[in-house]
Amino acid sequence: MRISVDIGGTFTDLVIETMQGLELFKAPTVPADPIQGVMDVLRRAAEAKGVPLSEMLLQTERFTHATTRALNAVLTRTTAPTAFLTTAGHPDVLLLREGGREDPFDFTVPYPEPYVPRSLTYEVPERISSTGRVLVPLDEAAVDAICGRLLDADVKAAAVCLLWSTVNPAHELRVGELLAARLPQLPVTLSHELNPCLREYRRASSAAIDASLKPIMTDYLSSLTHRLRDAGLAGKVLMVTSIGGVLEIDDVARSPIHAINSGPSMAPVAGRAYAEAEGGTEVVIVADAGGTTYDVTMVRKGHIPLTRDAWIGPRFTGHITGFPSIDVKSVGAGGGSIAWVDAGGLLHVGPRSAGSVPGPACYGRGGTEATVTDAALVLGYLDPRSFSDGAMTLEPDASVAAVRRSVGEPMRLGDLAAADAVIRLTTEQMVRAIEDITLQQGIDPARAVLIGGGGAAGLNAAWVAERLGCPRLLIPPIGAALAAAGALMSDLVATYALTVPTSTDTFDLAGVNDALDALRAKCWAFAARSGVSPDRTSVELFAEAHYPQQIWDLEVVIGSSGFQTADDVIAFAADFHAVHEQVLGVADHASQVEIVTWGARVRCELDRAGTKLTVGGELATASAATTRHAYFPVIGMVEVAVRSLTSIGSEEVLEGPTLIESAFTTVVVPPGMSCSRGPSGSLSIAQSAAPSNAVEARETVHR
Amino acid sequence: MNSERRFDGAQLAVLSHRFQAIVRKMQNTLARSGRSGVLNTARDFSCCVLTAPGDILMAAQSPPIHVMGGPDLQARSLLEFYPDLHAGDAFLHNSPYHGNTHAADHSLLVPVVDRDGRHRFTVLAKAHQADCGNSVPTTYMASARDIYEEGALIFPVVQVQREYEDCKDIIRMCEMRIRVPEQWWGDYLALMGTVRIGERAVLQLADEIGWEALEDFSSDWFDYSEGRMKAVIQALPAARVTATTAHDPFPGVPDGIPVSVTVEVDPVEGIIDVDLRDNIDCVPSGLNLSEATSRTAAMIGIFNSIDHTVPHNQGSFRRIHIRLRENCVVGIARHPASCSAATTNLSSRLGNVVQRAMAEIGEGIGLAEVGTGMSPAEAVISGRDPRQGNGSYVNQLFLGTNGGPGGPHADGWLTQDDLGSGGALLLDSVEIDELKHPIVVHVRRLAIDSEGAGMHRGAPGLMVEYGPLDCSFEAIYANDGAVNPMAGARGGSAGGQSHQFLRDGDGLVAIDVCGPVVVAEGQSLVALTNGGGGYGDPLRRDAQHVADDVAQGWVTSGRAAEIYGVVLDRNGDVDEVATACRRQPPDRTGS
Repeated sequence: MRISVDIGGTFTDLVIETMQGLELFKAPTVPADPIQGVMDVLRRAAEAKGVPLSEMLLQTERFTHATTRALNAVLTRTTAPTAFLTTAGHPDVLLLREGGREDPFDFTVPYPEPYVPRSLTYEVPERISSTGRVLVPLDEAAVDAICGRLLDADVKAAAVCLLWSTVNPAHELRVGELLAARLPQLPVTLSHELNPCLREYRRASSAAIDASLKPIMTDYLSSLTHRLRDAGLAGKVLMVTSIGGVLEIDDVARSPIHAINSGPSMAPVAGRAYAEAEGGTEVVIVADAGGTTYDVTMVRKGHIPLTRDAWIGPRFTGHITGFPSIDVKSVGAGGGSIAWVDAGGLLHVGPRSAGSVPGPACYGRGGTEATVTDAALVLGYLDPRSFSDGAMTLEPDASVAAVRRSVGEPMRLGDLAAADAVIRLTTEQMVRAIEDITLQQGIDPARAVLIGGGGAAGLNAAWVAERLGCPRLLIPPIGAALAAAGALMSDLVATYALTVPTSTDTFDLAGVNDALDALRAKCWAFAARSGVSPDRTSVELFAEAHYPQQIWDLEVVIGSSGFQTADDVIAFAADFHAVHEQVLGVADHASQVEIVTWGARVRCELDRAGTKLTVGGELATASAATTRHAYFPVIGMVEVAVRSLTSIGSEEVLEGPTLIESAFTTVVVPPGMSCSRGPSGSLSIAQSAAPSNAVEARETVHR
Repeated sequence: MNSERRFDGAQLAVLSHRFQAIVRKMQNTLARSGRSGVLNTARDFSCCVLTAPGDILMAAQSPPIHVMGGPDLQARSLLEFYPDLHAGDAFLHNSPYHGNTHAADHSLLVPVVDRDGRHRFTVLAKAHQADCGNSVPTTYMASARDIYEEGALIFPVVQVQREYEDCKDIIRMCEMRIRVPEQWWGDYLALMGTVRIGERAVLQLADEIGWEALEDFSSDWFDYSEGRMKAVIQALPAARVTATTAHDPFPGVPDGIPVSVTVEVDPVEGIIDVDLRDNIDCVPSGLNLSEATSRTAAMIGIFNSIDHTVPHNQGSFRRIHIRLRENCVVGIARHPASCSAATTNLSSRLGNVVQRAMAEIGEGIGLAEVGTGMSPAEAVISGRDPRQGNGSYVNQLFLGTNGGPGGPHADGWLTQDDLGSGGALLLDSVEIDELKHPIVVHVRRLAIDSEGAGMHRGAPGLMVEYGPLDCSFEAIYANDGAVNPMAGARGGSAGGQSHQFLRDGDGLVAIDVCGPVVVAEGQSLVALTNGGGGYGDPLRRDAQHVADDVAQGWVTSGRAAEIYGVVLDRNGDVDEVATACRRQPPDRTGS
């Protein structure tokens, strides 16, 4: 038996994999003690299964954990007081970032604080050039004096980032030694060891975030492990990382920055598994609709694309992690997003959210503004008597009043038209988020399958798919906990990088091959630590390359033999031209190709032979068919059939309009579309075979 | 303004999102595929969609100087020269005498033509070039006496594609004249790809929605935007303010360039009138403003001063009347006056004085001034790289920015740099610059006490020092703000002045305002950029914010006491009693 737990902002999700299938349990997150929420949901699962918790945990061979603990600590500035040591003359690396400003006309946004305040920034007299030459020798006496100041300042961690430490790490290593000698208890992160990438801001930001997380994450992870062990857990404890893999707890404690994007990185892992089970496709778009945000990720030919531009908080005003991360696009278009009308009569949805407190007006907890959830309730899509598996009842009158006041009256629209307008605009915002990421990755959504996950996904996912021209929409049966499900399906994954600047016309064969050898060695060392056998371990080498003068890299995979002859270099250049053409539409075949960073990824496959996708337990319980009144554009308010997801037979095709319910979600199937249930238990929605206006409209687009 | 709208607020919102998606798509394509640093690092480019008659419908988030008061002039000049447009046409336009900003911004215009051959919309992408064929290696030749000395190739609406095929003779001309032809060709490809992507997206939208509906939307969207703008202006007090400033002395203008504007707010009609006619004639210098930059700089000054959520398109622009004069230095430059540096120095001066005039009409309105010059921290450097077999290089650095202006809501933005960029440009990484050029950046730090003091202070300037490594280089720039610093507004103080020096051994020598300067091995260039002006009385600044500025090394404790009237104790905490005494207004008994 295997268990995964995802601690979200509102709920802690637990997915348990048994012989019967996946089962889902939820318990409220306990912000003051998140591990308490984990123990609560474990107890709830054990009770439902009728076994003592200790017995359930004894049978658990693997416990995989995703948490926003590290992310929240950064966002709420509750990380440890951290010092930043930098090359003399460059104290403002973390303050200046890389420049840029989101809205040139918005002078209400203050300039953001640096990750480490200037008062805890220390300049180290030394300088190394871009070729690794020592221009100014390290002043060790000055470092000694800095150690004294660190003691006085009572910092709890330190990050060191010196210019060009990636090319010649001697100074950074020596600073590390001096710190270790004078302050042996102080957790230190050296930038070239953690993230040897070019661009001092990115490397410094990585190091500063990592160092600042070490004290709290060490405490958190040891407390989690102890409480699970005390409760009877015998198996391994793994932690989800930002690149869609898992790491052992000790590796995370060493470099806690890897746990930053722990949650959203798992949705595409689950999405990929469901898309493959349903016949597969080259491109999968995974949309996870939560209470406050809508997170979009993708899968392309089985790979989940990564981005190097991962920010904590907004771009320009947040902090870059400097690490590759699953490419997630988040927009404030969740169930709690607030709809409002501006002075000129234009409708807006978000970015403000009612969150879970006070929540949408229909929660009856004091919220008075109209949210997307309120609009869905007004339109009849939600069942007020059993929301979120019956955990809550909703107040339709409150929704009607809120929609009328916030949207209907200012726009002079009736309640239904106003609520429908909110859903339509939300759909448009979701489409824009998806187009942003598909464009970045050079993907045509019309060739993709859309996976709808999260509690709020089903409300308008069909319209999102229609607008994008996606031929098929899948709603997995475990969709309400996509991330937790993905955590059960992931492998041990790590990446390493080295900086060796070179170009295809003056290729540094020896230097590159040395770097690739070093990267391979790191990967196999990781595999050896994990205990996974070599035949289930794969190592992939890649280059981050660009045309001369370009500054955004494209990743090109390198064959396992590396670079033996000049022909290998020519073949590599050809691969780059092909990737450039695919992603950016053009290639410059006459040009040389430049490479700065060389990387390696190691993947140690975990035992997934028994992984189930279908659901068991309470999720599999079918309830009787009913009807409800629901509103659809053009046809208006009509009585529609309401079916539970698991009641749909394998041969059955249901025509829209209809509503499909499962424990934690409702899926709206609009007129002109039909749905059926696939082998993984997912609801599959496509254009209906019967002709309709919607179908004709789509054909004109693609003529 | 039409009172009859065809779309309700929900339909309007959805369609405006669709057009925004188109310009964002164009913008992303250009950012990712551009080859020169000025495109892919600094992101000095813009994309917009215009209606067939040439009204700006939707622009992507870009440097404001590009997109407000120029693309419409360019689209109209296209109609003038090519009244009969066809699918597959594309036009290169960089003429400051026909609506473009300055010669270094190459614009591509593509008409979107329906199946019946009717011109429905125009898409435009504009990108600053790494080189534009000037007589010296810089794209901001502020010292040029006229267009002939400037030397740029000028394309006053020149057809570069017909039936989607390149007109290769134009491309050959560029390759013969532009210094880094491969880089130019890479950027040209990126620009062409961008406008074609925009064209395709508009065609697809029309297939789905219909051309008439899109045109109805355009009309409604203008009315909505105009309505928002009118409402904002109607909430302002009636006022007429004249304000002045001056660009520092410069080659060709030994006394500097005085600028005077009169801003009149008419809340009854909902109109703002900006009169720029009372200014000197064009000067023998590249500082003259083109018609596009005169209009745009004045508009930026207005839009910076009000609710930023008002959409920026031809609808809201209808509520601003800008009065320009032919052959005026901040008006309509006529050939052969040079406008080589029209997007930076004088246009920032002009926008600054407009937003400062707005500040004077009431609390909570307007902004102080932001830096106007391009210091040596933003120089174009050229030379030979000993690490690359002495191959030659030319490139603009973006190492250090001017401080942003204090405003009614917040302190200045540290990397704002100037008015025309709106702070949108990115700052170079020291490591990237040292990898690409044979240089060492010795220092980049904020300059303490250089902020314009105020209730909301301006951002301080930066101190940047760099020099060649194992070689020498030549630097060209175009600074301002050494003589006339960036003024504060509503009682705020001016920001710190700019300076430039050559360091040779231990000595610092003051150097020219624009170069070229040769920097030899062992020497370095030192730039101190301008601090932004403060907004409001410094004595009204939150004392805790002053204490924070001192703790974080932005302001010294001496200045905190002297200028802000905030006295700190030994721990750096506010001494409330001493501060209250110091901040007390002078005794007025007996007056």
